[in-house]
Amino acid sequence: MLLVPCPNCGPRNSADLRYGGESHARPDPATASPHEWRAYLYLRHNPAGWLRETWYCRSGCRRWFALERNTATNEFRDPPLPGDKRGGAA
Amino acid sequence: MADALRFESPVTRSHPAGESGGLTLTDSSATVKWLVRAFDEGPAAACLQTPFGSSRQDPSGALVLGSRPGEWILLGAQDAVARVVESLQGFGSGDFVTAVEWTHGRAMFRVSGRHAPRALEKVCSLDWSDPMTPDGAVTSASVAKVICDIARDDCRGTLSYLVLCDRSFGQYVFDALIDAGREFGLTVVPAGLSFSDTQDTVG
Repeated sequence: MLLVPCPNCGPRNSADLRYGGESHARPDPATASPHEWRAYLYLRHNPAGWLRETWYCRSGCRRWFALERNTATNEFRDPPLPGDKRGGAA
Repeated sequence: MADALRFESPVTRSHPAGESGGLTLTDSSATVKWLVRAFDEGPAAACLQTPFGSSRQDPSGALVLGSRPGEWILLGAQDAVARVVESLQGFGSGDFVTAVEWTHGRAMFRVSGRHAPRALEKVCSLDWSDPMTPDGAVTSASVAKVICDIARDDCRGTLSYLVLCDRSFGQYVFDALIDAGREFGLTVVPAGLSFSDTQDTVG
């Protein structure tokens, strides 16, 4: 079982959350080239290591949050504490 | 506030009851319920004085649950809940507050008795020990795969939990709680009772 540290609810079973994939900045629609849009929409880094990703706490606080997980060990780095606003920016 | 419609509980089937006294399940769906949403750091939140994850008994008698960030559930007698809702009016500038009557849209069950945490552990993955969920704690979690709001609301020293879910899942969750509690000698009170009535069934 993977315990995901929700910033509002605390550690929760990953089955209670929805995985939102890699977290990366959306390009500026006014200036982004087609190549940048394609990269944003379809390309993923998929590293065997640390990755910043988004989660949705669907059975708890119903909030999106972002955190860093090691995809090889399922370890979370510097997870947000309950009430910590850092996790709010997914 | 509109006149209350005649309440019909979502629980229509029941089961034989044990008499151990260690665990009681009560259908308290008839309790008046309101859902309030507002900015979680705005004046309405300050008025409700109930942060996410906690609950508070309002002087009017209503129970205020901080069910989610920026979301509260009000439970209790019609007059008591109405007074809390009326106190939220007038926050027009700088805060957007919505209050929705939820009585007929949500089922609510009270699981009480010394075996209540053990029965809940069978259908919910949260830790129901005292340090994690003390009296007054509020959380949301999956109960038998149904997302529920759960509030610990001890009555006269007896462990007691309120479990709220969508009305359409009411009978299913009720049955799941009966299955979970059967081995603890569960007593079932499926009467569609009001909030104060269910408090009387505890202990």
